[in-house]
Amino acid sequence: MGPGEPLVSLSALREAETARITAACLRCGACFAACPMVPFAPGAEGAQGGAVVEGVLDLLNGGPGDEASRAWVAACTRSGSCNAACPEAVNPMLMLRLAKWRANETGALPKRDARDAMARVKAFARLTMTEEEQARWL
Amino acid sequence: MAVNLFWYGCNMTRHAEIIRLSERLLECVGTPAQPVGGPGACCGSPKESEPRINEAMAARTMDGFAAREAERVMTWCPSCHMNLEDFMAPVKGQGFRHAHLCEALHEGRGALAKLMTQHIPARVLLDAHVGFGDRVDVNTLIPELLRLVPGVEMLDHPYRGASYMCFGLANVPGALPAHKARLLAAAREAGADTIVTIFHSCHREMVALERDHGIRVVNWVHLLAEGAGWDYRDEYKEWRNAEDPTAAIGPARMAAAGEEAVKRLALPELTRPR
Repeated sequence: MGPGEPLVSLSALREAETARITAACLRCGACFAACPMVPFAPGAEGAQGGAVVEGVLDLLNGGPGDEASRAWVAACTRSGSCNAACPEAVNPMLMLRLAKWRANETGALPKRDARDAMARVKAFARLTMTEEEQARWL
Repeated sequence: MAVNLFWYGCNMTRHAEIIRLSERLLECVGTPAQPVGGPGACCGSPKESEPRINEAMAARTMDGFAAREAERVMTWCPSCHMNLEDFMAPVKGQGFRHAHLCEALHEGRGALAKLMTQHIPARVLLDAHVGFGDRVDVNTLIPELLRLVPGVEMLDHPYRGASYMCFGLANVPGALPAHKARLLAAAREAGADTIVTIFHSCHREMVALERDHGIRVVNWVHLLAEGAGWDYRDEYKEWRNAEDPTAAIGPARMAAAGEEAVKRLALPELTRPR
């Protein structure tokens, strides 16, 4: 394999991590209990943690999840408090992130509108950088 | 020839002065690094809802690093840093070492301390978040760097915002206003006169507090530059807090950057509700 050639595809990595997480998770809900974003997830606050995690795993594997799990996944901001709380080192932060990607693909959660993101990055570059800096740094 | 890179990410283009100052700081601590970022060196995070696009952008960035024979890559953005470790390196392989900017400067803190000749009186509360600390202990390293600046007093407060930077909070209804209110309360409780932001997205969200709440807001790199006596202008803060950002930018800059693009893409952000 030459330099720059992929070692593995992102989709293969996601599939492997999805399988690992699904098998390893105890559905104990410790991750949910530790999350500081739950108050900002309508429908998730007050829910039973294990049930919410079941919903997240459903989303992760292409299912529709339920209202609480969709809300929690949508509100995840990668605080990482869940990882410290997990008794099995499942990496719940990655679980939620991959679940969001899958839910975006299945339509269970709407995609973030990022159509102008790079155009905005370029517009600010032209405002703040000299032409020489744009040539060197971009 | 192998090079060090300062990978500033994509959304840092709003804060070119931080890139300039970071490049200068790295040079001074003996780790010279070429800045690289923007759409051509993106981790793919802005296109996270489109995994195929995300993967292609990340692959292009890693190929670019390989083509430049990167020996060490200093990151700025925590999203880039985590994506590198979680996806980009496992998928593409990583032929370089990496560290966050604050880690590289902390390694060179002996040289950095010699630069800190200016007395900058400031009672500082860090806009600390709970995330990212398991990758890079920014909430410890950055205060240790800022304590090198004569006159800077780093204040302790237990409050930590959710997420790893403010960008994530901005996309969850209610979360960013709650964080701002809690951070301001923490600053009052601690007796701070200055809030120091760690990351770019925090800076762009917090600078408006300076206008409306009478507390100074600077980034940690700005404060190190002040300690060294280096001039800089935080134009994003000036524009964001101006009564008329268009006038503050000025017609020549507007024209040079493309007036229609600035009106459509930059001004809505600069004029959004505080």
